[in-house]
Amino acid sequence: MDRKVVVPGDLLSEDAKRSGDGTYIKDKCVYSLLYGLANYRDKINVIPLAGKYIPAPGDNVIGTVKDITFSNWIVDINSPYDGLLHISEFPTRIDSEEMSKHLRIGSSIMTKVKDVDPTMKVELTLNDRKLGKIMTGQVIEISHTRVPRLIGKGGSMISMLKKEVNCNIFVGQNGRIWINGGAEDTDLALKTIHLIEKEAHTNGLTDRIVAFLKSEKGARS
Amino acid sequence: MSSVISEIRKDFIYNLLLKGERVDGRTFDQYRDISIERDVIRKAEGSALVKLGSSQVLVGIKMQPGEPFQDTPNRGVIITNAELVPLASPNFEPGPPNEVGIELARVVDRGVRESKAVDLEALCIVPGKQVWIIFIDVHILDDCGNILDAASLGAIAALLSTKVPASRFGLGEDYMLPLNDIPVATTAIEFGDVLMFDPGVDEESIANTKLTVITTAKGEICGMQKSGKGLLKPEQIYRIVDIACEKAREIREKFLEA
Amino acid sequence: MDKSDISFFKDGLRLDGRRADQLRPIRIEVGVLARADGSCYIEMGGNKVIAAVYGPREVHPRHLQEVTRAIVRYRYNMASFSVEERKRPGPDRRSYELSKVSREALEPVIMTSYFPRSVIDVFVEVLQADAGTRTAGINAAAVALADAGIPMKSMISSCAAGKVADTIVLDPMKEEDNFGQADLPIAMTPGGDITLMQMDGGLSPDEFHQAVEMAMKGARDIYEMQRAALVEKYGKIEASTIEVNACE
Repeated sequence: MDRKVVVPGDLLSEDAKRSGDGTYIKDKCVYSLLYGLANYRDKINVIPLAGKYIPAPGDNVIGTVKDITFSNWIVDINSPYDGLLHISEFPTRIDSEEMSKHLRIGSSIMTKVKDVDPTMKVELTLNDRKLGKIMTGQVIEISHTRVPRLIGKGGSMISMLKKEVNCNIFVGQNGRIWINGGAEDTDLALKTIHLIEKEAHTNGLTDRIVAFLKSEKGARS
Repeated sequence: MSSVISEIRKDFIYNLLLKGERVDGRTFDQYRDISIERDVIRKAEGSALVKLGSSQVLVGIKMQPGEPFQDTPNRGVIITNAELVPLASPNFEPGPPNEVGIELARVVDRGVRESKAVDLEALCIVPGKQVWIIFIDVHILDDCGNILDAASLGAIAALLSTKVPASRFGLGEDYMLPLNDIPVATTAIEFGDVLMFDPGVDEESIANTKLTVITTAKGEICGMQKSGKGLLKPEQIYRIVDIACEKAREIREKFLEA
Repeated sequence: MDKSDISFFKDGLRLDGRRADQLRPIRIEVGVLARADGSCYIEMGGNKVIAAVYGPREVHPRHLQEVTRAIVRYRYNMASFSVEERKRPGPDRRSYELSKVSREALEPVIMTSYFPRSVIDVFVEVLQADAGTRTAGINAAAVALADAGIPMKSMISSCAAGKVADTIVLDPMKEEDNFGQADLPIAMTPGGDITLMQMDGGLSPDEFHQAVEMAMKGARDIYEMQRAALVEKYGKIEASTIEVNACE
């Protein structure tokens, strides 16, 4: 795979059809919009090294309640845009007066982006079995730009990790990750996630992570 | 603009503390790495860039002749100012210094003043008419916690490298600013009965109370400031003071006395 | 000092030994601040300037929000100790004007439509001033924007030309700026589109032409340095990865 560090405005191709994520077309040529790593396949995508999470419908995210209104919880989702969780999106039927009994300011939730309108009003939902309030475990934050590598192709990396470290892990597209398990297992999960974050842009990542887990577990027993 | 800290994060830090651990693996009285670079700003009479962990503070000293205060006609003047510029933290906003910035500047000033580090009488040029005015300007560049200790360190380090610009004002040759003491401020936070020195941002955001103790080279206390809306028991204060003296001595020996 | 007291050239070289068309030494470092989303430190001659970018983030106060795009704010600020005579802290008329034109120098390339209702904050602190702080600030700000992952059509590079002793010179330093005959700072895209254009003093149309060409050449060279600094930061990430692997 051909990869190259690029900065905004770099010419990537003279074939407009190859314009992918993080690029734009001007005078039939493809240019980079971002500082990052250009991936040359059929399409050329530029993967940024930094940047804020912008919510999209269907994303799983982890949020923290920062305010409560008459019928909405306002949720910080590590983004320029707050999420709104409407009372009707709570899994059980509750009254407006009881809202803070269920989720108060400071509560963390595993939630899903239900809809985003053009003015970036972000609606959240808890209506799914795997979603809900976080009661135990730990939430850590990595750059959201590294999340795709943590999940892996078709979820390969994350399912391998869950199995190997024996922890519950919920990955938010916004870079927040919930880990729940024994102290030692959690530690190993943390170490591994940080390693993936650090090496997200390198080749042969999965193999290295497998080797890393093997040697760590070997050292333990 | 400050965001809420989640309960789960708070609980996590608290549970670590109960086990005697900190987020970044330090012991409760351990400072982050300190580096001090002096004379970084050529346009200033003295300057120092302090890095305390990832926190960065730049202090510049400017001097100029001016009028003394009426009640102290034979003494130079120290004016300390701190800029918590919005470049340094998502929580800082543009505009004139707020109470946090003013408190910081005043505590930095207190250390320099009360330790009598600067011999103000030696800064008299013409009694009652002309004295040296020292401006200590604190510029916070990156707030990763405990900027007060970093600013205090920066102020004294910058003063230690300050050359009085006498020739520029036709007052003879330039000379190094004489100093009589090296005050060092150390800050601890209290959280759920646990004390922690040199708090990081996370630790600061969950702490109720902060205590800063400024000590002189002789090991005397020359300034203090409790900050935050929590309570401190006398025993906690005595304990902080004991450790503060010790920590200040270490920092002074290692970074300021050369 | 009177300008007749100064001779700006000696043996065809400037007071600091530069040729007329030569930049001062430049050093650029990317990602120097931990709290900011993107940051850059630049030294251009005696100028020491640091830039930080925060955002896109929520707009406060809310009424400044725009429904279809991000707003950009740029704050140029000088540290009190950055100049010979201590500057009173806080903004003045000069810093308001420089903030405005610097913001407008960068705005044309920032994809603000990607982030409705948000703000991209650019903060520039001049730690030491030595003529050309606005150009140094814009150069640092463009790198900091890239470092923050802000989508942009291109980088922006900025440089000034001036006129001293009837000669057009690149990147004037303090003495040339104070006692020179003209100052002309520009900013531009690497493609040569001008986004900042200011001028004071006196130039003939021919001299003006020559000054613009020279400033553009300087900006192009600065662009290469901005680019190299960004690529180098990435190289550091790579290097640390290799170290980790070696440890295992």
